[in-house]
Amino acid sequence: MAAQPQDVQRAETVRFTLDGQQVGAYSDETIWEAARRHGVVIPHLCYKPDQVGLRPVGNCRVCMCEIEGERQLQPSCWRKPSEGMKVSSRNERAVHAQKMVLELLEADVPDESYVADSRLDHWARQLAVGKPRFSRREEPQPDLSHPAIAVNLGACIQCTLCVRACREVQGNDVIGYALRGGDSHIMFDMDDPMGESTCVGCGECVAACPTGALSIAGVDPQQQWAWQGQESEVEE
Amino acid sequence: MSAASDAVGADSVRHRKRKRGQPKGRQADPASLAAVQEALGDMPRRRDMLLEGLHRINDRHGCLRVEHLTAFADELRLSMTEVYEVASFYHHFDIVRDLSTQPPALTVRVCDSVTCAMCGADELVESLQGKLGAGVRIQRVPCVGRCADAPVAICGQKPIPAATMERVVDAVTAHDVVPETLTPVAYAEYRRGGGYKTWVECLTGTRDRESVIKAMEDSSLRGLGGAGFPTGRKWRLVGKEPGLRVVAINIDEGEPGTFKDRYFLERDPHRFLEGVLISAWAIDSHEVYLYLRDEYAACRLLLEREIAALQADPPAPLPAIYLRRGAGAYIAGEESAMIESIEGKRAMPRLRPPYVAQNGLFGLATLEHNMETMHWVRDILQKGGAWFASQGRHERKGSRTFSVSGRVKRPGVYVAAAGITLRELIDEYCGGMQDGHELYGYFPGGASGGILPASKADIPLDFDTLQPYGCFIGSAAIIVFSQHDEARDLARNAMRFFAHESCGQCTPCRVGTVKATELMGAEHWDQALMEDLSQVMVDASICGLGQAAPNAMNCVIKYFPDEVA
Repeated sequence: MAAQPQDVQRAETVRFTLDGQQVGAYSDETIWEAARRHGVVIPHLCYKPDQVGLRPVGNCRVCMCEIEGERQLQPSCWRKPSEGMKVSSRNERAVHAQKMVLELLEADVPDESYVADSRLDHWARQLAVGKPRFSRREEPQPDLSHPAIAVNLGACIQCTLCVRACREVQGNDVIGYALRGGDSHIMFDMDDPMGESTCVGCGECVAACPTGALSIAGVDPQQQWAWQGQESEVEE
Repeated sequence: MSAASDAVGADSVRHRKRKRGQPKGRQADPASLAAVQEALGDMPRRRDMLLEGLHRINDRHGCLRVEHLTAFADELRLSMTEVYEVASFYHHFDIVRDLSTQPPALTVRVCDSVTCAMCGADELVESLQGKLGAGVRIQRVPCVGRCADAPVAICGQKPIPAATMERVVDAVTAHDVVPETLTPVAYAEYRRGGGYKTWVECLTGTRDRESVIKAMEDSSLRGLGGAGFPTGRKWRLVGKEPGLRVVAINIDEGEPGTFKDRYFLERDPHRFLEGVLISAWAIDSHEVYLYLRDEYAACRLLLEREIAALQADPPAPLPAIYLRRGAGAYIAGEESAMIESIEGKRAMPRLRPPYVAQNGLFGLATLEHNMETMHWVRDILQKGGAWFASQGRHERKGSRTFSVSGRVKRPGVYVAAAGITLRELIDEYCGGMQDGHELYGYFPGGASGGILPASKADIPLDFDTLQPYGCFIGSAAIIVFSQHDEARDLARNAMRFFAHESCGQCTPCRVGTVKATELMGAEHWDQALMEDLSQVMVDASICGLGQAAPNAMNCVIKYFPDEVA
């Protein structure tokens, strides 16, 4: 889905309005992708367009936008624009949802990040989300059983990027999503310690994790970067 | 034999991948593999049979041992994690990591959802502590669909209506654990009464598709699971989809307060099945899936029996009919989550578009209906669409089946005119309020449809009439409460239910329901924060569960402000 040189030649066949501006989109493009080509980066956490093979799933709900005439807000990473659609990613209602999602997620993660540039903290700063007004969940225990990868689910926002990285990109299928509701969590094999699982330590999940819940074992958080600083130039 | 050789094949693949040194992670051991193969029997080893396979193992061994799950993954040629994430999603499975934590042989489930809580579920659970012996555990569970008999306990699979400590102890002592016996209109009797003639008329050309769909449209019948999509229009839309089409019927009745589907199923299952067959014919489908909630154990036995009777002597060639069993998950009643569950996955709602009508079960165009919607098809075709439409009251059309529970003299299922008001419903059908109880408020649509005060007891109850009040009728589950109850307690019970039943997929619902439950525990509610939270849940949740979860909370703020100020 990432823009390739040959794609640049493609014609924009769909015209829609994004935050009051007329813009064009390719026929197979999502609102998020079209917006980025036109210089608007909508907040996003469970969606990582620059790592190959990670399809959008629209679960974090931080990229919500308002589409005129639709009752619910829609995830821009999932929805495709249609001709004449009027999309707002920055109006009051959309921004309220984006900020509340960030506040809910921030409420449950520790104050100290496990990486230098947690994407969650980044977007919370960008949208000026203050100190969360909700109480914090009981922090899950760290899992340091694996020699190469540290697991700190306290920082996990359950975006499932690691599940897709492990299952769909690498085909290892070690990481899954256990239980449900507030109890749901990322797990390995049969909810085993990572070091005792069938994990081969490929690191795809670490590269995908936006918050450092999965990070390189034994390396100081300040020396680790979520998403390797990608996208920073377009966002700032 | 073939199953065993498949397993060897999967094993050798795994070893081939890691031939250097020891294989990493759990390995299926031969004894567990044999135990699993024995439990599965001739079940096809397909991905969509994952949930069914888990049931077979859980039924056979009383729990899901992790080593059995490991063997089952090998047997289905799935990764361990995909098996575990499904097994751990559904509340009716007990995953056991070591045998010392194996659950007791008998489970007594006590419903603690809205009506049962109002009628003393907490006190019942309290009174049962230490009374049932070591081989029995007591579990609080969400609505079991028997709210007219609240409080309800289920001993094994045997429901105990109006449960008291003594009745539960008696049932446990007598080991009264098998599902109750139901005596519906059975197959032969249904045929004698003209049953299946309407369907045969469709197949033989006496009726044509256009006239049948037209009659459904004229009837004004709308989807009775709660969403209210016009039935005739749905048939027309799905019928136009290219490629193969499939029918999927939702009998995952789980909205607290709702028990109408069970009511009809227990009495007249073939009237429902005939409706299903007609709908399959209407969209030219040859496959029908019925998804039944696991709590309705007696209905499952009944359906198995009556479908077998129909298949043994069908009046005309039947489509394939598959009965699938849920495993304790309210969210599986969401239409796309049900499809995921039938496919053997976690019941997590899909993002739309695409809609299930276009891309549903196994990627096929899917006609999904609530059970009760199908119950009315035969009558509508025999008596005409106008007959059904003519039944409304207060300018509404059609009838509605109300599940009424709570502080009325005669709770139960009542078929009444759509548009009837709560006051009329209580007075004309339910024998009035219980002695000593005055109407204080009511849930018009189960736990998700909001709460209205007594001053709003004269509003017509139907689709679309309650939205201006921040409510909806949904599955028409009416829970009536009195001056002896507090709206805030009932609303918090509803929110706790949604937190328990959230699938965990999207942030607003997964985190929002938990935080809202906490906020609602405060003596004075933080209404500004609740308003912010409610808005993101309504606006940004993936499915109706999260979108509707704040309704009751918002209604308390709006209509019962004195309770939380």
